[in-house]
Amino acid sequence: MSRLRVVHYLNQFFAGLGGEDKAGTGSSVIRGATGPGRAVQMALGERGEVVATAICGDNYFAENTEKASAEVVELVRSFGPDVLIAGPAFEAGRYGVACGAVCKAVSEKLGIPAVTGMYFENPGVDLFHKDVHIIQTANSVRGMGEAVNRMVTLALKLAAHEAIGKPAVEGYFPRGIIVNEESDRTGAERVVAMLLDKLAGRAFESEVSQPRYDRVEAAPPLTDLATATIALVTDGGIVPRGNPDRIESAGATRFGRYPLAGLSELRAADYEVVHTGYDPVFIRQDPNRLVPVDVVRELEREGTIGKLHEWFYTTTGVATTVENARRMGREIAAELKAAGVSGVLLTST
Amino acid sequence: MKLQLDTHQVSDARFGERTALDGGVLCVNRGELQALLAADARLTDLQVELARPGESCRIVRVVDVFEPRARDPQSGPDFPGALAGNATGKRSAGDGRTAVLRGAAVVLCDPAAPGGRGGPGDFIDMSGAAAAMTPYGRCQNVVVLARPGQGVTLGQYQIALKIAGLKAAAYLARAGLAGHPDSVETFALAAGPAGLPRVAYIFQVLTNQFEPLHGDPVLYGDNIERIVPTVLHPNELFDGALVAPYDSRFMETFTIQNHPIVQELYRRDGKDLSFAGVIITNAPNNVPEYERAATIAANLARYTLHADGAVLTKIGGGAPELTMARTAQRCEELGVKTALGFLHMGIDTTDISPKPATIFNAPEIDAMVSMGAPVGLNLSLPRPERVIGDVPESGHAVRQPRQVKGAMSQIGATKLMAVRY
Repeated sequence: MSRLRVVHYLNQFFAGLGGEDKAGTGSSVIRGATGPGRAVQMALGERGEVVATAICGDNYFAENTEKASAEVVELVRSFGPDVLIAGPAFEAGRYGVACGAVCKAVSEKLGIPAVTGMYFENPGVDLFHKDVHIIQTANSVRGMGEAVNRMVTLALKLAAHEAIGKPAVEGYFPRGIIVNEESDRTGAERVVAMLLDKLAGRAFESEVSQPRYDRVEAAPPLTDLATATIALVTDGGIVPRGNPDRIESAGATRFGRYPLAGLSELRAADYEVVHTGYDPVFIRQDPNRLVPVDVVRELEREGTIGKLHEWFYTTTGVATTVENARRMGREIAAELKAAGVSGVLLTST
Repeated sequence: MKLQLDTHQVSDARFGERTALDGGVLCVNRGELQALLAADARLTDLQVELARPGESCRIVRVVDVFEPRARDPQSGPDFPGALAGNATGKRSAGDGRTAVLRGAAVVLCDPAAPGGRGGPGDFIDMSGAAAAMTPYGRCQNVVVLARPGQGVTLGQYQIALKIAGLKAAAYLARAGLAGHPDSVETFALAAGPAGLPRVAYIFQVLTNQFEPLHGDPVLYGDNIERIVPTVLHPNELFDGALVAPYDSRFMETFTIQNHPIVQELYRRDGKDLSFAGVIITNAPNNVPEYERAATIAANLARYTLHADGAVLTKIGGGAPELTMARTAQRCEELGVKTALGFLHMGIDTTDISPKPATIFNAPEIDAMVSMGAPVGLNLSLPRPERVIGDVPESGHAVRQPRQVKGAMSQIGATKLMAVRY
C-alpha cells in the first residue's frame, strides 16, 4: 500500500502559536507535522506521512463554529488526504469540541475517515461520539504517547477499510451502536457459569456495566412560598386528548406545554396517557393524580403558594435516552426560568 | 419429587383420521381437536391449522407457544388448576411420568386483540430469514386461533383462548403416552457430595407494569399479580404448574417448560453445585411492594433454601429491572452471592459506557450476563403464500427482529449477547 496522506488538526496551543492570548487566531495551514504531529508521524512510520497541519484558535472556532469548520474543510481538501487526525484534546473542552466538529465535517464533506482523542469528561465526547471515532485518552499530555498510537492504529484500519474491533479493544468511545452478537453459549449457561466463578472466587468479567450519572446540585430552597410561582412538570406521558404534539409513547424526544389558565383541575375527558411503561388506569380515571392541579389550586386559594404557573409541561419517561432527557430538562428549565417560575413540582410514575 | 420425561421426536405433522404418533409423524384428527376446543362457549370461529417447517407460511398475532406435554393419568392432571382435574384427585405437577413431543409446538394466535401493542404483533415464519431466527420456525406447529364468543369480554376470551392452547398441548401429547419414547430423562434434586455451593434461581414471572389479566392461569390456574415470592420445585416448571402470563414479552410457556436456566442448574446439580430450588416472584410497580418482594425473596433464598448463591432474571422493562437489582442487593447483604442475566429493554444507545448498561447503580451487583437487546435492522420479508391469524399481508412485510416470536429471550434461551460499538 502506498504511503497514506495524513492531515493533522491542532489548536493554537499545540501548534505552538501561543496560549489563551492567541485563542482568537483564525484558521491556517502549514506543510508537514508540528507539535504532537511529530508523534503522529513517528507512529505512522513508513505507512504514512503527515503532509500538512491545519490550525485554528479555540475561541475563533467556538465563536464561528460553522464558518471555521468550512474553512478547515477547505484547507484540508487542498492537500488531498486519505485520513484526518485531530488532537488529541485530552481534557480541553473547546479544543475537544473543535476536534469533534472538524472530524465530523471532514468525513462528511470529503468522504475520508477521521479520528480524534479525548478524556471521557470532555464535552466533545458527548457531542460527537456517535459521528466520530474518538479514542479515550488520559486527562493530560502525559497520555500523549499512548493516545497517538491508538489514534494512528485506528486511522490506519479505517483508511484500509478493515473491520474495526470492539470499543474496549480499539480504545474508542462506543458510538451508540448496539449489536446482538452470538456467544458460544446460551445466556442461561453463561449466567450459571458466572455465578459458579463468583462463588469459587475465580475471576469473571461482567458483560453489563452500570451507568455514570451526572450529580446535579439541588437549587437552594425557596425562601417564601407565599410569593412563589409553582410549575407542574411530569414525565408520566399525559397529553391532551389526540396528542396534538405527537409526544412519543416511549423513547421521547419531545415535550409538550399545555395551558392551565382558568382550570381548577384536569378533567379526565380532556386528557390521555401515551406512556407505555406503566399501568395508567388510575391516571386515566383522574389526571390530577399525576399532575396535581386540584390540590395546587387549593394551596393557591389558601395563599400557601403565590400562584400556579399557567402552563404544565409533560413528556414520556420510558426508554428515554439520557441525552434527550438532559436536553429536554434544560429546555424546560430555561422556559420556566424565563417565565419567572420559582419552584417546580416534578411528578413521575 | 421425581419427574420422568419421555421424549418423542416429531419430524412431520399432518391431518388425518386418528390422532396418533407413528414413526415421528404426528397425525392430527382436526375435527376431533376442533370439537374439543370449540366446546368452550367463550370462543367462536375456532380453527386449528398446521404450519410446517419449509412452508411459505406466516403465523401472525402470536401470543404464546406451548410444547405438547401430557401426563400419565396416574401422575396427576395436565396443567393442574388451569385444566380440569382428573380421577386421581392429585393436584400437583412435577412428580410422575410425562410425555413430551419434541419438535412440535402449539402456537396460540389472538386475532381479536388490537395487535398486542399495535400492528400485527409477534409472528413466526416457517421459511426464510425470520424462520431461521427462532426455534419455533423449526417446529411442526399446530396453530390454535379463535374469536370472542357473543358478549364475552376481551379478558374472558383471552383466558379461554389460552386454555384452548393448553388443552391442545395435552391432547396432542397423549398420542405419545402409550408409545416407546426416543429418550427418557429423570429429574430429581440430587443429594450431591457435601461442600458443593447451594444455588437458587429467583425467577420473575410477571410484571405489574401493565394491568394484569385477572384470572389468567399462570400458577396452578390463577394469576400471580398479588403473590409474594414463592418457592417451587424445579420440576413443577417442567410439568405445567407455571404458564407464561398472557402475551408476555420475550418469554413463552414453551421456554418455561424447557426453562434453560433450570435445565442448566439441573445439568450441573450434584457436580458443580447443589440446586436449592426456584423462587418465583413478580415485579411490582411501586416501591413498598418491590421492597417487600426483594426482602422476602432474599430471605427465602438464604434461610429457607440455604443458598450460597442465586441466579436472577427479570421479565419486562424498568420496574422489573429495579426489583431484580434490589432483590440481588438483599441477597448480597445476607451473603448470598448473585449473578444476573437480562435482555436490555429500552437500552440507551447514547450512553458511552463500554458495555450495555443497567438503569441502576449498585456496586455489589458485579456479575451480569447480557442476553441481547431487542434491537436490530428491520427485516424485509417477502409475502408468504399463506398467512395464519386473520391479518391480510400485502407485498413485502417490514418487521423488527424483536417481533419474531422466540428470537429473543429474557430467561437465557438464546446465545445473543448485546455489544456496544
